[in-house]
Amino acid sequence: MSPHENRPREDGPREDGLPQDPQDVKLMIHALVDGELDAAAALAVERRMAADPELAAEHARLLALRGAVANVPRPTPSDDFLARIAAIAEVKSPEEAEASKAASAKAEPLPPQQQGNVVAMRPRASRWFKSFDWRQMAASIALTAVLASGATQWLATADNGAESFAVAVANGHRRSLLAATPVDIVSSDRHTVKPWLDGRIGVSPPAPDMAKDGYALLGGRVEVIGDKPMPALVYRHHEHLITLVAAPRQNEAKSVPVADDLSAGGFLLVHWTDDAFSYWAISDAERPALDDFVARFRAAIIANPAAGSPG
Amino acid sequence: MAGAPDGGTVLSEKMLAARFAEVVLPHLGDALSLARWLTGNQADAEDVVQEACIKAHAGIAGFAGGNPRAWLLTIVRNASYTWMAKNRPRSVVAVGDLADLDDVSPPPDNDADSPEAALIAKANSAAVEAAIARLPQAFRETLVLREMNGLSYREIAAMLGVPQGTVMSRLARARGLLMTELGGRHHEPA
Repeated sequence: MSPHENRPREDGPREDGLPQDPQDVKLMIHALVDGELDAAAALAVERRMAADPELAAEHARLLALRGAVANVPRPTPSDDFLARIAAIAEVKSPEEAEASKAASAKAEPLPPQQQGNVVAMRPRASRWFKSFDWRQMAASIALTAVLASGATQWLATADNGAESFAVAVANGHRRSLLAATPVDIVSSDRHTVKPWLDGRIGVSPPAPDMAKDGYALLGGRVEVIGDKPMPALVYRHHEHLITLVAAPRQNEAKSVPVADDLSAGGFLLVHWTDDAFSYWAISDAERPALDDFVARFRAAIIANPAAGSPG
Repeated sequence: MAGAPDGGTVLSEKMLAARFAEVVLPHLGDALSLARWLTGNQADAEDVVQEACIKAHAGIAGFAGGNPRAWLLTIVRNASYTWMAKNRPRSVVAVGDLADLDDVSPPPDNDADSPEAALIAKANSAAVEAAIARLPQAFRETLVLREMNGLSYREIAAMLGVPQGTVMSRLARARGLLMTELGGRHHEPA
């Protein structure tokens, strides 16, 4: 341990909310370097360092170490490796998929020349791999795959509208979970959410507040499904978000008066229609919770049609 | 609409492929990095990451938001230890050892002389790499998840199944050992 007598001592506990234990204060310096402190705590730690040369030196060493560690070269995925991984997700016939899974599951380390044979690559593609940063590469593969699957999805739309609609709803829901905020307009008040949706896309679904039932209205956003913007409401139930997409009903749309349980993209969906809208509720919540939400939502708009007037 | 042909499940293989591309592929470098530091070399890391990616692909439908990198790295970590248990049973650290490591007394303080920081900053990357490789497994893992993979304390704690305070103390211990070694203070063996 370092000589504690070198450290400036103060009478009584400090009032800056930091731990008193010297080792814990050092952990706070690590947290500062790691960007884990909020502004108030960071300020307090910086003040401690200004008053204590030993803490300041620890901070300097940590920054130096961080720089040294950052210079350690990161492994770069080889061409073969990238191709092997991309091949995992390639759509194959079931027999091929089984065969390749069985082969991979053995996980016998292959000699390098055999690894190259796992996925035959065109020479041109190989050069392309080499000349680019792998991160860009991975991003491009991701983008291409998304675009490609999007295109196929559109081709399939004609003969299976409901299925692709459900998938689109699922994708919108997933995007909203990954985004900084799941809603474009934050409000638990339908008198705010409905006019906002009206102003954006000229249509707004019923937006009953069901906080007393355990489903708090968080707000709304606009989903674009197919080529049409559609209103979406977001409710929170415990830790789960429920997205409710309400598509204005078209003449040709089938009537689904009884809620229909579906799933898409790993999420559970419930689909039903009323006179004005075709509803899609999606969530990662459990099936009973989602069904309960739908039942309460339907009851709420029947009980209070004013909340449910379209547009 | 009621009842899609395959009984209501509309998750097609193409959608799985798109999700895999969206969730897994962007983080392959991080996955390799973690596996390389856990297994100790690049060739083994590739095998481990490939196994992990197959698991990730099989389980991709279960990924419901959150940090995709942390999700993938959790799978990679599990795959690494499974692989090590199979291929290098002697090197796997038993769970009891981890608790012991967390109990040991705090790292020795270094004197507050600034030349030490300069020495650390000048350390060449081979020396840094060797020093990291010599860290006890639990410290190395935490350090790599933070420094190489850029996960937050909270994400690391969730992945390792330990409190955030343990993450913080392991990180401090790991860095303390590295600073001692790279700062040229060999009288306290790491």
